[in-house]
Amino acid sequence: MSAAKAGKTLRPGLRFVPAVAAGKLARFVTRLRGGGSAFPGYLSNRMAPNLLPTLAGQFRYGVVFVLGSNGKTTTTHMVSEILRAHGLAVFTNPTGSNMPQGVTSALMADATLTGRVKADVAVLEVDEGYAADLADRLSPRVMLALNVQVDQLYRFFETERVADMMLDAAARASDAVIVNRDDPYLSKIDETAMRGSVSYFGASEALVAASAHGLVNAIDTRSDSTGSAARHAESEVVAVDGRKVSVVVDGQPIGVTVPARGLHYAVDAAAALVTAARVLEAEFDADNAARAFAGMQPAYGRGEVIPLAPGRDEQVEFVMFKNAPSLQLNLDALPGAPDRVLMAIDEGTPDISWIYDVDFDALDHVDVVSGEKAHQVALRLEYAGIRVGAVEPDLARAVSMMRALPPRSGLSQTWLVNYEIMMAGRRLLGHGDQEVARRA
Amino acid sequence: MTTLTIVQLYPDLLGVTGDRGNVAVLQSRLASAGITARVVTAGVGEPLPDEIDIVVIGNGPLSAMRRVTDDLAAKADTLRAHSESGGVLFAVGAGAELLSAGVQTLDGADVPGLGLLPFRVRRTRQRRVGYIVADTEDGELIGFEDHASTWDLDDGASAYGRVSAGKGSVGAEGLGGESVRAANAFATNVQGPALPLNPQLADAVLRAACARRGVDYTAGESVAKADTLAEAARSDIRRLTAGKKPTVMSI
Ligand SMILES: [Zn+2]
Repeated sequence: MSAAKAGKTLRPGLRFVPAVAAGKLARFVTRLRGGGSAFPGYLSNRMAPNLLPTLAGQFRYGVVFVLGSNGKTTTTHMVSEILRAHGLAVFTNPTGSNMPQGVTSALMADATLTGRVKADVAVLEVDEGYAADLADRLSPRVMLALNVQVDQLYRFFETERVADMMLDAAARASDAVIVNRDDPYLSKIDETAMRGSVSYFGASEALVAASAHGLVNAIDTRSDSTGSAARHAESEVVAVDGRKVSVVVDGQPIGVTVPARGLHYAVDAAAALVTAARVLEAEFDADNAARAFAGMQPAYGRGEVIPLAPGRDEQVEFVMFKNAPSLQLNLDALPGAPDRVLMAIDEGTPDISWIYDVDFDALDHVDVVSGEKAHQVALRLEYAGIRVGAVEPDLARAVSMMRALPPRSGLSQTWLVNYEIMMAGRRLLGHGDQEVARRA
Repeated sequence: MTTLTIVQLYPDLLGVTGDRGNVAVLQSRLASAGITARVVTAGVGEPLPDEIDIVVIGNGPLSAMRRVTDDLAAKADTLRAHSESGGVLFAVGAGAELLSAGVQTLDGADVPGLGLLPFRVRRTRQRRVGYIVADTEDGELIGFEDHASTWDLDDGASAYGRVSAGKGSVGAEGLGGESVRAANAFATNVQGPALPLNPQLADAVLRAACARRGVDYTAGESVAKADTLAEAARSDIRRLTAGKKPTVMSI
């Protein structure tokens, strides 16, 4: 069982005090100065290279990695909440801290000065580019690979490189590997190259067929077959009705409520459920899992609603995307053409050529287009035949324009945004950076 | 009433940078001029139509290039005949490289080209990413570059644009030139995609295609709004690139 997996020779102790203290101090100072989270981790790793493996080795239920082009944050959150509903103390890294130094910083902030962790399990969202390297230091027990989508071309150039990085990291999981059977690259995983057993998750054929653009996973450009390999899914979404989703996990039906509409969120839930089942083994309980979903807050900017203005009951629903697949799946999940729409992208997304790969049929108009790329986005919408009310690159002015639309009680506006605009938009609506605090 | 045929080659495998946007722009602009366009896609194993006016081929990863080489060889005679008869080719990134004299890759397994474009490609360790602006005979070519290629021109060939911001792909280590036009074959490493952001280039492509059919082409009123938005987007990019160094990464 899991406790035995932590049979490491590395133990916490006084020798870690200087490194942890230095890291904690550096973290305190960089936070005061509003800086990033990488330096403290870098410092502690330099001072005590054994710190990271020692921290990781103490989690009774081991370390879980969540990898994928889309849905890492949402799924990490789901896995964590399911484990919490089973009574486990869960350590998880805040969004954006998914590279080695950031993970170290977060782990160290949570540890005692002697390098003792307080949680039973670590559920970590990990950047694909560093997954293998981090796996060598954290010895994950369970690894989940969500999907490979045409994304990150800006960073990795070749989609298949992203797939290989995930599969390469997955081979390092000691107990279990969980992959998407509807993903052309991941479904072709070589089970014999894995140390852990392989489980699959996915959506039923009927559900995928009913989705306007399927699941938008990257086609496999290097094999004879561009589609996915036929695999039995240990965790399968069998029905979706708005946010109500039915998943069959290891033969057991579980009804859950996902934080936002969309087949991709349902598939994330199937992935999270089977991941938790592999972590908990015989302790996994369907009722506990369902209870976890019932109480789940939407992850920051994924289906989250906040008031359009203080004292107004009209809400803003942020729909965040970072690439063509996530925008397409979010558009496909809209219950109808929304009547109040803002769409905004800034230079945080450097190349937006892919907006021409997205079908905008789900919209009949956009009220305001904003962000530094407003004119590029408006140009795309013009060629797509979508009516645009106004183009206002300045986000603060665009928000004022959205607030100035005739008020309607109890309804919500739909703001389609990239990550940076979501953060800026939240601030403009009076909701600051609360995610780190909430998730830490 | 004239109907032009646009063929998009390998839209799934070589179409990852919004390449169907280029096709849509050609179609809309022809429609604005009162010319009907028929769009046909041709994937691996799918035949080319008998009559072709414009061939569009887009961008994709190296694995996708390798996947289409056999099929492209089977289509080579038709594509060569099309090009030699003054037919238009509009090729972006990996698609352009497949129509060149060939691609030298970093892993040693070179990719053959059809030899329809007057350059040879060297994949480099230096990756060039960011907005790009280049001066051309048709006006400023503006968009986004993201490639790790140098296009070495054949003797007598020249770059279509001279880079004023960004890096470009034509010439020694990509300094100075971007895109190539040889008769009615256009090749570019500009994304965005290129044609929505560059109506002047779209019109140059369409004038070439229409002239071959003896048809006059002038973009009509229905694309005026798109052109106003394109000009605003172009100004934004000019402003963002002014005085900025291009990004180069090692891969
Ligand atoms: Zn509206």
